[in-house]
Amino acid sequence: MTHDAALPSVLVQASGLGKRYPKVFHRRDRLRALASLMTGRRGVDSIPVLHDVHLRVRRGESLGLIGENGAGKSTLLKLIAGVLTPSEGSVRVDGRVGALLELGAGFHPEYSGRDNVTMSAVLYGLKPAELRAKLDEIIAFADIGRYIDEPVKHYSSGMVVRLGFAVVAALRPDLLITDEVLAVGDEAFQKKCIRWIEDYLGGGGTLLLVSHSMYHVQKLCRHALWLRDGGVAAYGDVFDVTQAYLAYQERKSGEQAARSQKVDASQEFAVIGVALNGVAADRPTVLECGADLQVEARIHSRDGRLPVVAFGLARADGTPVYGVTTEMESVAPVRDGDTFVARIDFPRLPLLPGSYSLRVHSMDSEGVRAFDTVERAITIRGESREFGLVRLEHRWPDAVDRARRSDTEVPDGR
Amino acid sequence: MPTHSLTLIGQFLQRELRNRFSGSFSGGLWALIQPLVQLAVYTFVFVHVFKARLPGSDAPGFVPFLVTALWPWTAFSEAILRSTTAVQENAALIGKIALPRKVFVFAAVGSSFLVHSLGFVAIVLILKLLGQRIDLAGLPLALLLYVPLLLLTTGLALVLSALQVFVRDLIQALGQILMLMMFAAPVFYARESLPEHLRHWLDLNPFTFYAESFRSVLLGYGHIEAPRLAIAVLVAVAAMLIGSWFFRRLDRHFEDFL
Repeated sequence: MTHDAALPSVLVQASGLGKRYPKVFHRRDRLRALASLMTGRRGVDSIPVLHDVHLRVRRGESLGLIGENGAGKSTLLKLIAGVLTPSEGSVRVDGRVGALLELGAGFHPEYSGRDNVTMSAVLYGLKPAELRAKLDEIIAFADIGRYIDEPVKHYSSGMVVRLGFAVVAALRPDLLITDEVLAVGDEAFQKKCIRWIEDYLGGGGTLLLVSHSMYHVQKLCRHALWLRDGGVAAYGDVFDVTQAYLAYQERKSGEQAARSQKVDASQEFAVIGVALNGVAADRPTVLECGADLQVEARIHSRDGRLPVVAFGLARADGTPVYGVTTEMESVAPVRDGDTFVARIDFPRLPLLPGSYSLRVHSMDSEGVRAFDTVERAITIRGESREFGLVRLEHRWPDAVDRARRSDTEVPDGR
Repeated sequence: MPTHSLTLIGQFLQRELRNRFSGSFSGGLWALIQPLVQLAVYTFVFVHVFKARLPGSDAPGFVPFLVTALWPWTAFSEAILRSTTAVQENAALIGKIALPRKVFVFAAVGSSFLVHSLGFVAIVLILKLLGQRIDLAGLPLALLLYVPLLLLTTGLALVLSALQVFVRDLIQALGQILMLMMFAAPVFYARESLPEHLRHWLDLNPFTFYAESFRSVLLGYGHIEAPRLAIAVLVAVAAMLIGSWFFRRLDRHFEDFL
């Protein structure tokens, strides 16, 4: 198998890769473009969507592409898949490419699933003899029951993805390219696909994955490339790149939130300052996994009444992790001039690596109504293959044995 | 050509044929009914209404005269019309899957030629059964004539389908141009029916050679001259080469303009 070799061969090599789309709004533009293409001159007005991308993927590697909408991810995939022609630079792929660029690409709505499988397998380069041998396998993998003989136009989008993925899976391509298609299938099928991809990677397969799910990217890829405005913003180890990307995202949404929410001094209770580990600036706080976190919130009370302060931690996607108020635990914020200060410490914060937000809410003295909210981003750094949000305290009664039997990582509850 | 392309052409050709016939009520039978109806209409109009006669004492009946040139013309013109939009119509596929784009053109031309050359054989046999004076020994030769015609058509189709991506109104103009080209070739009339000074202009039309040659091999009406055959083959090969070059030149940029 290729991945056993000391240095596997390069499968994808892109250098100085760029793509510009011609501006064609009028018929005149199309004619002019045609003329300049035929004469070989450049000079058509064009919009750059991707520039100066260098990347190298070795056989057996897995690379995740991340970035905001319109950053050029799909264009890059299409260039690698050979669907688009680069405007600058070059890209070379030495092997069979299986690209799932879009839901049900190449499927004809009038034809049955079976006919479409045949057609798209041929489109992807499967020989008729290979196809005959694999048809049953494809249909079994798609697992859509009697629908296989119904026209594809009667399919749900999930079924279309199932069929499309089944075809590509049967190809056993040297390079698998998927563009956010896994997000459509139901959970059972997603799991099946991920299991398949893991198996494929284990067998020396190479993966290029576009996903907005950092979970999928971190789970399936060892390297990541972050595209921003058509250029490479970061390229390297998947954890470093995804964390940098998430931190950037949060900074951006934090800026937006700050713009939309000016301090309203006329409020009865306003949060006028939040400091994390002594830093009051509104930028993401980066913590090592298991580090301490101290939060200090300053509340302005219009009538000088004692506020209740609530602290909450949520994952970047909004899933709550933990919340507590001063009132619950009978703690009173300390008066400091005409403001109140509430402080809370989280020793050895057990959050797993990822992005979180800390929210501070000011509430009335009874702890019934919330008046103001301030949010701060926290990124927990570190590498961990554990799942979920927090590391629960745990122990393995048979841990000594396991450690001796294999060299698998034994979480030690740091 | 790599086997993958050939397999692809086979698949798209199958699909073209299925699209044409499976949706229709009569299915594959339509391929035979259509030429028969057409034949009946032409017989009525030309033989019974216009009382068309061909010059010459040993001239064949007007119906076989018309059939032997009109069927190849139908294959040619339909192939051109279908293949010109072939790339544009498959834009969705072209943007998603990397495959050689010329297979769409080949499949469109191929399906038209397949359908109409089979129809041609069927109608020639029917005419023979109806007692027309047709030389069946010339049928294999007639089918051989389809080869340079196919090359010529494919070459033109490659140029036109690539142009259509950039100039969308090409297909509108093409219908008119083809009609003009049909009447500027001896399809509905014999070269001898034209005034003397106009006759040699017909040779500028690449289809003239085919119309006259099909008649020559099947009806013994006129004969194929070696130099004209050589020129026709040369033109067909040149069309194919130029078409391929033209298509390859623009092929890489289709996705940007589709």
